[in-house]
Amino acid sequence: MTLRFRDKLGLRIQHMAGWMTFPFWGTTIIGLLHIVGRYKVSELREIRRHFRTLQKSNPGPILVCSNHLTKIDSVILNWSLASVWSYMRSFKIFSWNLPERANFYHNYLTRSLCYLASCIPIDRGGSRDAVKRSLDKAIYLLKKGHMVTIFPEGGRSRSGRLNKEQFTYGVGQLVKKVKDCNVLCIYMRGHNQDSYSSIPHRGARFHLRMELIKPDSVHSGLRATRDVANQIFDQLTLMEQAYFASAGQ
Amino acid sequence: MSKEDVFSKVVDILGKYSKTEISADSITMETSILDDLKINSARLVDIVLDFEDAFDIEVDDDDADSVATVGDGVNLIMAKI
Repeated sequence: MTLRFRDKLGLRIQHMAGWMTFPFWGTTIIGLLHIVGRYKVSELREIRRHFRTLQKSNPGPILVCSNHLTKIDSVILNWSLASVWSYMRSFKIFSWNLPERANFYHNYLTRSLCYLASCIPIDRGGSRDAVKRSLDKAIYLLKKGHMVTIFPEGGRSRSGRLNKEQFTYGVGQLVKKVKDCNVLCIYMRGHNQDSYSSIPHRGARFHLRMELIKPDSVHSGLRATRDVANQIFDQLTLMEQAYFASAGQ
Repeated sequence: MSKEDVFSKVVDILGKYSKTEISADSITMETSILDDLKINSARLVDIVLDFEDAFDIEVDDDDADSVATVGDGVNLIMAKI
C-alpha cells in the first residue's frame, strides 16, 4: 500500500472538519431521521451498550460489514451505534464509508455533507487504480484505528436478501491487509423493508443485530481472500436467517 | 504448454462464469471479461483460482487485480508456468 502524503493529509483534514462541524450536521441529520422519516431503532440503548462493550473488549481495527438495502444504510448504522455525545468524544468511532460516487456526488450539498460525514467516494466499475486508491485509504484508516463500513454486496440487494452472487471478495483482501482486523457483522433492516429502495419507508422501525468476528484462514493468497470473505458472508447469512425466523417468515 | 493451449483452457474456464453464450471463435485476447463476457466482477477471484488449479500456478492479489481481458489472463498464466 502506497498512500501518498497528500491523501493522508486530506483524510486527516476531512476527519477534523467532520468532527468540528458534527454538532451542526449530525444533529440536523438525526432530527431529519426522527421528524421526516419517523424512523426508530428497536432496542437502541441496548445496541449502543453492546457496541461499546464489543469495542472495549476487542481493541484493534474494526471493519463494519453490513447487508445493504437502502442508500442511507450507513447513516442509520452510525445513528444506531453511538450517540452524538459519544461521537463528539471520539469521532474515530464515526465510521468512514465508501459510497458510490454517482449516488451522492452530483450536487454541492450532498458532496459537502458526504465530505463531512467521513465518506470516501468510490467509482464502482471505474478504473482499477481509482478503486484501489479508495480501498488503500480505507486500509490506512483502519490501521490508524478508525472504523470503516463497507457493504460487501457492492450495492443494494435487488432481491431484498443477501446475495452471494454479488458478494465481493474485496472485503477479504481488506481484512487480510489489516493486522488483527475485527469484523463487525451487522444485519439491519426496517420492519417494512421487503426489498431494496432509495430510502427506508417512512415510519420504519429498524432491527439491528451485530456479531464481532475475527476471520482467519489456513490458506494463503487468493484462497485466503475468498475464505475470509466467505466467513463474513456466512455470518451475515446466519443473522439474516435468525431475523426471518424471529419474524416468523 | 503453448499459448494457444492456454488460451483454449482459459476460454473453457470463462465459459462456466459467463452469462452469455461463448463461442471460442468470437473470443480474442482483447475480449473484456467483465464487459464482453458479462461476467460479474465479484467472480473474478473464482476465475483466477480456477486458473491456479488448472495450470498449477499461484497468483497473488495484485496480479489477480490486473486481469481485465482474456489476454491478461493468458499472459499472466504464461508468465507463471
